[in-house]
Amino acid sequence: MKNTFSRRGLLTTLGAAAAGVLSFAAARKAKAAIKTVFVRTNAPKDYNPYDHKWLMCFDVDKCIGCGLCVDACKKENHVPEGPTYFRNWIERYIIKKPKPGSDAARGEVIVDSPNGGRDGFPPTTIPREEILKSFFVPKLCNLCEHSPCTQVCPVGATFDSPDGAVLVDPNYCIGCGFCIQACPYGCRFLNPETKTAEKCTLCYHRITRGLKPACVEICPTEARIFGDLKHPVENDPIQNFIQKNKVNSLKPHLGTDPRVLYANLDKEVR
Amino acid sequence: MPPQVFRLILLTVAIVGSYVIARQLLTPPSFRQYGFYRGEALAEHASHTPVFAGRKACLECHEDIQKKLFKDAHKTIGCETCHGPSSAHCADPDSAAKKPDKKNTTACLRCHEANPSRPVTQKQINVKNHYSSQKCAECHMPHQPNEVP
Repeated sequence: MKNTFSRRGLLTTLGAAAAGVLSFAAARKAKAAIKTVFVRTNAPKDYNPYDHKWLMCFDVDKCIGCGLCVDACKKENHVPEGPTYFRNWIERYIIKKPKPGSDAARGEVIVDSPNGGRDGFPPTTIPREEILKSFFVPKLCNLCEHSPCTQVCPVGATFDSPDGAVLVDPNYCIGCGFCIQACPYGCRFLNPETKTAEKCTLCYHRITRGLKPACVEICPTEARIFGDLKHPVENDPIQNFIQKNKVNSLKPHLGTDPRVLYANLDKEVR
Repeated sequence: MPPQVFRLILLTVAIVGSYVIARQLLTPPSFRQYGFYRGEALAEHASHTPVFAGRKACLECHEDIQKKLFKDAHKTIGCETCHGPSSAHCADPDSAAKKPDKKNTTACLRCHEANPSRPVTQKQINVKNHYSSQKCAECHMPHQPNEVP
């Protein structure tokens, strides 16, 4: 019986198959391109991430610890209820007077954040005469220029977007939790519903529409200042803030180069 | 060319080719649009609907109230700080916007209750010895706190 398979036939078939698969990939690309033009999404179309660089500043001396920012963030981003799921939160620092006879400049430092500060802060049980000083520190994702969380992600689900936001791609996140451990500021958590890592997105759906993030919008004392470094407005609040204050960032020794700046930050804050 | 070298070349081409094809199929089309990640993820984050409408949205209809507000001590406070998220009210102005209950003092005390951690520039009261039987709105107007009703 004659062999019906020939080398020529096999090579032609393989070549045709490869061409078919490659044209299939090209078709996929074309379909995606068509989709971006014709399929309507809620996302604003005229936003170019290369055209912005966002910066967040805090004035610690202006924060009154009302907790409205935490509440607003939970409502805006539909953050799950519960005492451990926060995209931003407020910490209360209480620095006690040094013990009599000791040569220390300051005593014990007590930090608390009941329910992230969402319901405000109850009066402290520490008597007033024992307190050297006390203040509130609002915290959120520090928008690191060299972010440890993106470096440890094994699937590349978290990334630094060109406009300065550090985002998580929930479709790619496998929920391993490496980034939660890697973040030196404790800004991430695992969403119990989606089982993916979640963090402050700088209210990406708001800043792309020209709105301020919910926490900045809601802050009653202008302790939070938010702006675009690439588009300074007249009498720019960000430039004024950096000019008038001595600004610092959290944990500068880690080399993360945060883009969240704090004015009037105490040495004890970490 | 010896046949074993030819087969080796053929095998290499087959392996590299199948890798290229698999990569084409497995990478999402928007990968490398902005960097080493799925570019569509940015649009997906941006596609959520805002819950808080922002001060500018309130200004469209309630300019008279805001003009008064901007003259007084509460000028830094956004409308939605006390009135709550209002994008539903913006989309449909006939739907009722939330009005803070004037008989309730929690909205005021959230910022003005005495607390040693608050900055000294913040006006604070001790609820127990500051007209404890009366409600805040009886003496202070929320939009013009320096005026008496």
